[in-house]
Amino acid sequence: MGEIIAIASGTWKNILRMKVVYFLIVCVWILVGIASMYEILTIGYHKPLMMDVSLVLNAIAASLTVLSVTFEIPRELRQGVAATLLTKSLGRTQYLAGKAVGICVAGAVICTLIAAGSFVIYSQTFAVTIAGTMLKAQLMLIISIIPMSAMAVFFATIFPEVVAPVLTILAIWFSYSTGILSHIPVLYGGILPNLDFFNFRSHAVYLHPIPGFYMILATLWGIAYALFLLMFTSFFFKAKDIK
Amino acid sequence: MEEFIIQTEELTKDYSSWLRKTPRPALDRLTISIPKNCIFGFLGPNGAGKTTTIKILMGLIRPTGGKATVLGKPYDDVESKNRIGFLPDSPAFTPTLSATEFLDVCARLLKIPGERRKKRIEEVLEIVRMTQHAKSKIGTFSRGMLQRIGIAQAILNDPELLILDEPLLGLDPYGRQEFKEIILGQKRDFHASVFFSSHILSDVEEICDCISILNKGRLLCSGPLQALLSGGGNGVTVDVRSEDALRELVVFAKQTNRVADGEWELLFEQKDPAVEVKINELVGRFGDRVQIRNANEELESFFFKKIEQDNAAKMN
Repeated sequence: MGEIIAIASGTWKNILRMKVVYFLIVCVWILVGIASMYEILTIGYHKPLMMDVSLVLNAIAASLTVLSVTFEIPRELRQGVAATLLTKSLGRTQYLAGKAVGICVAGAVICTLIAAGSFVIYSQTFAVTIAGTMLKAQLMLIISIIPMSAMAVFFATIFPEVVAPVLTILAIWFSYSTGILSHIPVLYGGILPNLDFFNFRSHAVYLHPIPGFYMILATLWGIAYALFLLMFTSFFFKAKDIK
Repeated sequence: MEEFIIQTEELTKDYSSWLRKTPRPALDRLTISIPKNCIFGFLGPNGAGKTTTIKILMGLIRPTGGKATVLGKPYDDVESKNRIGFLPDSPAFTPTLSATEFLDVCARLLKIPGERRKKRIEEVLEIVRMTQHAKSKIGTFSRGMLQRIGIAQAILNDPELLILDEPLLGLDPYGRQEFKEIILGQKRDFHASVFFSSHILSDVEEICDCISILNKGRLLCSGPLQALLSGGGNGVTVDVRSEDALRELVVFAKQTNRVADGEWELLFEQKDPAVEVKINELVGRFGDRVQIRNANEELESFFFKKIEQDNAAKMN
């Protein structure tokens, strides 16, 4: 476990030190705040719009954070950083798990900052308190980073850095598009994770309760999917020659 | 007790891909045994298979055939890596981390306990003279500084075996000297064995006990450096500063070189007992005007001779 944490800490430090991350967070806060100006266009629905915008933008931020690993792993493999680390007492599966954990932690920090800022903007703009459903919706979005990070690690390990980000973003997009893909059972809920399990935008906007039991099941499913995909990736990675 | 620190048997590696149908051999049935507590130089021109061998030994690539053991364990044994230090040929580390942070990640992977970790990182940074850059980001380092950090991470765990791929590359003359002292210190103070590849033959000659020469994936020769350079220990060179002594010896010599006015160098390929008696007699008669020294070739000429012979044999 110590090895996984060591790799994870290097990964999250690497991401959280990028200036662009904080620029992204500030941009999201500005866009969330701007939603309050759409009172006329939305015929007075600007309040739910702000909550919806904060969840959509947070999901995009989570996807972009996850995407960073699809650049990092191929680059580490190409430049020899991975070779240096893998010649220590570190298994290849542990390396991949460390990367996935690192990206989850970085994603959780970024999404938490965005959610917290959005809540402050929301409560200050409309002088209301934050409902539990809104908190739960943001929490489930953060948990969705677990299967997403496993997908990113999978593509980053198998494909070069030119292809891996494109495939990852397509896979994430498809995974959110369960409605469109529902007639392709192999993809929907099969190879691709069903990220709609973590999508509670309508609950947060219209203040419908989210059952705690469902949240636990969705979280367990996300963890199980990530573990399975990491094992599958590790199977390929172990056979790979590291240049 | 492991008698040999590294052993390979018929180790073979072919690179092939779905694009290239014919496999490209990188290593051809390499069999070497490296004794403990030895500084081993692994030599060969570019593309000889040195880095491929090192990467197999470190478990980074898989051989197509043959066997390899490191510290008595299979080459891909993860736990034995705690006893090995490795420096890759072009060291690259996470650019956004500082030197201390990167070494901390390495120390954690090497399972160095928390209380000792910080102290050891400070020690190795001092050894490689990078203490003043401890907090600087690795991304800002020059090639030589990266090489120093590479050496630091390789010796972090006081390894029993150091495997170094082109460790002297990118270092200035001072850096090279310091680095050679580090290698010798690892052997002297920690009884570590060192396996390293290098193109700088003068440095290899200076510090190595044993060498192997590889060409196009094949092993040309392997053994103790002095034995290889003296052609099995039979050659002899005599420095002569007397025309009388020269006249008596020149008939036996394979080669005579005039070094300076009244000074010659006579090379004898084999130590013939009759010649030996004659030389000893002349040493007795002429004192320090006849001096015996070993007939070692320089490593550079030995290296070129071996490679050229092999290339010529392949052409024929």
